[in-house]
Amino acid sequence: MAPMKNKYMNPYLAGTLLGLVLLLAMVLSGRGLGASGGIKYCVVSIVGALDRGHADKSAYYSKYFENGQKPLRNWLPIEVLGILAGGFISGAVSKRLKFKIEKAPGISRARRLVFAFIGGLFFVYGAQLARGCTSGAALSGMAVLSLAGFVTMIAIFGSAYVFAWFFRKNWI
Amino acid sequence: MNARKTISILLLLLGAMLAMLPLSARYTLRGPVIVLRQSLDSHSYFTADQVARMLVAEDSSLQLIDLRPASEYAMFNIPGSVNMPYQDFFKKDPAPYLSQSDKVVFYSNGDTDANYALVLATGLGYHNTHVMKGGMNAWFESVMNSEFSGHKISARENALFETRMRARKLCNEINSLPDSLKMQYMAANRFDPKKLDGGCE
Amino acid sequence: MAPVSTLPGFPAELDLLIGFIIGIGFGFALEQAGFSSSRKLAGMFYGYDTTVIKVFFTAAIVALVGSQFLSYFGILNLNNVFVNEYYVGAAIVGGIIMGAGFIMGGYCPGTGLSALSIGKIDALCYFFGGLTGAFLFAETYPMIEELANGSYRGPVKVNEVLGVSPGLFTFILIAAAIVMFWLAELAEKRFARPDISSEL
Repeated sequence: MAPMKNKYMNPYLAGTLLGLVLLLAMVLSGRGLGASGGIKYCVVSIVGALDRGHADKSAYYSKYFENGQKPLRNWLPIEVLGILAGGFISGAVSKRLKFKIEKAPGISRARRLVFAFIGGLFFVYGAQLARGCTSGAALSGMAVLSLAGFVTMIAIFGSAYVFAWFFRKNWI
Repeated sequence: MNARKTISILLLLLGAMLAMLPLSARYTLRGPVIVLRQSLDSHSYFTADQVARMLVAEDSSLQLIDLRPASEYAMFNIPGSVNMPYQDFFKKDPAPYLSQSDKVVFYSNGDTDANYALVLATGLGYHNTHVMKGGMNAWFESVMNSEFSGHKISARENALFETRMRARKLCNEINSLPDSLKMQYMAANRFDPKKLDGGCE
Repeated sequence: MAPVSTLPGFPAELDLLIGFIIGIGFGFALEQAGFSSSRKLAGMFYGYDTTVIKVFFTAAIVALVGSQFLSYFGILNLNNVFVNEYYVGAAIVGGIIMGAGFIMGGYCPGTGLSALSIGKIDALCYFFGGLTGAFLFAETYPMIEELANGSYRGPVKVNEVLGVSPGLFTFILIAAAIVMFWLAELAEKRFARPDISSEL
């Protein structure tokens, strides 16, 4: 086995921990985890704040402001705040807090940042379409035996493997 | 033993257990004495006339469950009833059908399926279920096809006759709707699982 | 009976607080697994680091097994737990787009957020890209609406489609996952990149 600094948690233990968190979400809130949805609520909230007229006219945005609702006052965006907090705590405990741009040595920092941006764009767009990301649709979907979850998971992983060859220079 | 092997073995064992367990401990029938008692209690049975009276009075605690096959339900059913074919009693979780009202009344064409359904429901722990005695046959006999014969009519008979007439009218109205409207009406009576909050949308 | 948030009289604000705490656990677990590193995540698709599949399947199965046992003992009412609804075209096309996004950006939103929380600047760019993607979707919604809402099949469960009990399917899934775990170990040996792994 390649010599690795033993600083990350054993993947099976980490998986068990993550599974228990997911189970807790199901037991307490009757739902699975999520992340991309939280990002959507952020965007809706920003658009509502900057151009309320546009939001009210659009069929997509207006449903988030019905009856004076506030889009940020939802399970998902609050959970996203929690993710940031939890990651920070873990990083602090494991001494991994550091500003850095993680990239393969063969590419420039700018290239990594550009691809990160484009990747985020594609991913969240796709997540909106598929009604979930790897946590919300694939992981949580599998935990409730949802067919949509399995199909989305296979589509994500299959597609990533196909595209992997084309973007290999970015990573290896 | 490393984490991978430990967790794999643990999960395999738990998975094997799950594969062998029934869907839920809830689906075991309990209390044979309770079931016997319920089946002997006259309050567990309503006559077709009693059901007609509840229907006409728009009793909102009444929930009729039609145990006949879907095709028969589509042709004619008592307004307000929900279809739960007896063959498929456990195909979907019966809980939403049985737990949402104080007065659940089973009916089938005769008595048999409704009586069995009463036993099953009582065994599962529901004490709010009843049977319409005589089923659809009795309904047709007393409500749909009955006639008044004779010269004089007592007040009580009059009330009974009136109830039957109104129930008949209601039945005919709903059941003679064109198919598309009838579908909509029946769909409105289906128990759809309530919209749950969730997902990552 | 759980879910707790469906009990009568349960305040909505408490559900939000629960969400926050769950989020903390989520972010913590992701970061501890090493998913705050895009190169570690990308390793799944080049073979040198298969942590993704180990964590992913272990987590899904632990939650699956746990929820089924809780349901069996009447503690958790699975009818009140959200099941993702199946829109055929949207799930497949959305998944394909996400796969491309994953290999380009090196993150998924959950892992990206955990990376952002420990200071990764590339995760910050990913996050802004994500906001843009969501914005794009919202603005071009009428164009994609038909695909997004088409071929609705409802909250279908896999075991219903296959005609087996949930328990049996769970067992099959566990067996398949274990095979994948062993294959993952082999792949890591075959495609090992100690130069990358030592940096992670």
